[in-house]
Amino acid sequence: MEIEKVKPIKKFWQEFKKGFVITNPVFVLVLGLCPTLAVTSSIDNALGMGIGVIFVLLGSNIIISLIRRFTPPIVRIPVFIVVIASFVTILSLVFEAFIPPLYEALGIYLALIVVNCIILGRAEAFASKNTVFYSIADALGIGMGFTLSLFIVSFLREILGTGKLTVFGLNLFSIPVLSQLPLSFFIMPPGAFLVLGLLLALFRWLGVLKNE
Amino acid sequence: MNNSTSLITIFISMVIINNLILTKFLGLCPFFGVSKKLSNALSMGAAVTLVMVIASLATSIIYNYILIPYKVEFMNIIIYILVIASLVQIVELTIKRTNLILYNALGIYLPLITTNCAVLGITLINANNNFSVLQSVISGLGGGLGFTLMLLIMSGIRERLELADAPSSMRGLPAAFIVAALLALAFMGFSGLL
Amino acid sequence: MLKVNNKNNKKFNIDKLLKGKAYPLIFLSLIVLVSVVLLMYVNSITKAKIAAEKETQIIEQLKLIFPEMKDYKYNKDEYYEVYSSEDLIGYAFTAIGKGYGGDINILIGINNNFLIESINIISNTETPGLGTKITENFFTDQFKGLALEDVNLTKNGGKVDAITGATISSKAVVDAVREELIKKIELIKNKSN
Repeated sequence: MEIEKVKPIKKFWQEFKKGFVITNPVFVLVLGLCPTLAVTSSIDNALGMGIGVIFVLLGSNIIISLIRRFTPPIVRIPVFIVVIASFVTILSLVFEAFIPPLYEALGIYLALIVVNCIILGRAEAFASKNTVFYSIADALGIGMGFTLSLFIVSFLREILGTGKLTVFGLNLFSIPVLSQLPLSFFIMPPGAFLVLGLLLALFRWLGVLKNE
Repeated sequence: MNNSTSLITIFISMVIINNLILTKFLGLCPFFGVSKKLSNALSMGAAVTLVMVIASLATSIIYNYILIPYKVEFMNIIIYILVIASLVQIVELTIKRTNLILYNALGIYLPLITTNCAVLGITLINANNNFSVLQSVISGLGGGLGFTLMLLIMSGIRERLELADAPSSMRGLPAAFIVAALLALAFMGFSGLL
Repeated sequence: MLKVNNKNNKKFNIDKLLKGKAYPLIFLSLIVLVSVVLLMYVNSITKAKIAAEKETQIIEQLKLIFPEMKDYKYNKDEYYEVYSSEDLIGYAFTAIGKGYGGDINILIGINNNFLIESINIISNTETPGLGTKITENFFTDQFKGLALEDVNLTKNGGKVDAITGATISSKAVVDAVREELIKKIELIKNKSN
């Protein structure tokens, strides 16, 4: 009895943990690149996107796992897409109503969560095969791993690009010379490619990523 | 509001100034994944351009004549993705029936396009800018051609990059990202064009 | 014995249903239906809030230009009539400039004599640190009190100095403001006649 009780929780924890390092969606699987590059020009936007993805991933994983026994394999993908698109629409309506500045800043990338390969990937690879309980762990783990990756990229880009660190309107610190003469290259599109490229190389060098 | 934007402006802007890949980061998976061979890049680009033009036409008709009059713009995400998914299927079937040579060239890329964010992206950009049907089609064509252009440039560079003597952790994807950064920087030079 | 049989029967029926030819289509339609109903419901909740949010944004933006504003009216011809307690004190309208990075949205306020009260950059996607200086007061304040013929860069015979290093963004704002002024002043004049 005891063992049976412990086991699921341990597995839950495992499914949760894996999203941060072992199967980190951005740095290891290299998925969901479009938001990783597009919304990481500021930490606020990156965190907003992260929260959005966690919400959609959690919602779609739960629903898809609940209906997995009734879902005919032929229409599986369209069903997943409809479920994901519904959650994205709800998210976008809620953001528009309650956090309009974030809604404006994320723009089309909020709606593009629908085609984020991470979410459809988790639906297909995990939620359609596992119980609701583990699907929640999977969604939280992968979602937070994604948010963490967005945070790392946006942290570097905001510091280098503006010389300051501002989180939710609160100016945490500014670097003396850099904030007067910021390297704005880093918050522009080319800077996004450069930062992510260097980060990927760094993680490979550290041995987190296997070489091709 | 943007009804006055001329078609040529939209076209040039979509191909080089607001290039989907370099400034909007859309369609990066094929950009980094497929574009290792020139011929593959061309086929993929052609398939995406075709779908983008048709999707822009279909979604802008739906947006301007159904969603706006009935005030259900909020349904656009779910409708667009379903329209794109069905369009891809229809295009695939049509090509298969009518032109087998074309199907052999484009066929395997078509299913991938459903989840290509560039196609959904361009339809959302059209809606955000309140483009008319004609403007949307031109923007779809420009977006597709800009996408193809980048795929071609990138594949050419990557064919040579394979032979480059780079540190092992930089090889492959990281190096491709650095190349993309340089390309994006170079294309920013076009920004003041219009 | 009877119970078991019943159970088997039931299970058989579900299997049959799941394997039926029409089932996938029925299931997909059901999912779509549920999602449409759900979205309609969420939309009905958030709709009022979104509208109210937009309204407060407009009022805030207009008050930046006309601090004494009490009320406004949106005209069909796409401009705002701004009122203090009773009197019409000016008009406001938006213009879109073609900037370096994309659209620049500008709100322009003019008084009854068609002189610029003030302008306000609502949103832009210009180069951070350079083009984004168009939002700062030292640039937008130059427009205060200008008549239509003065709205041009100094080098083109106007009264607005371009920002060093951001000529394209500056020109985009000036051109958009001038073109919109020409259009809207004529509209307003026609209306009052």
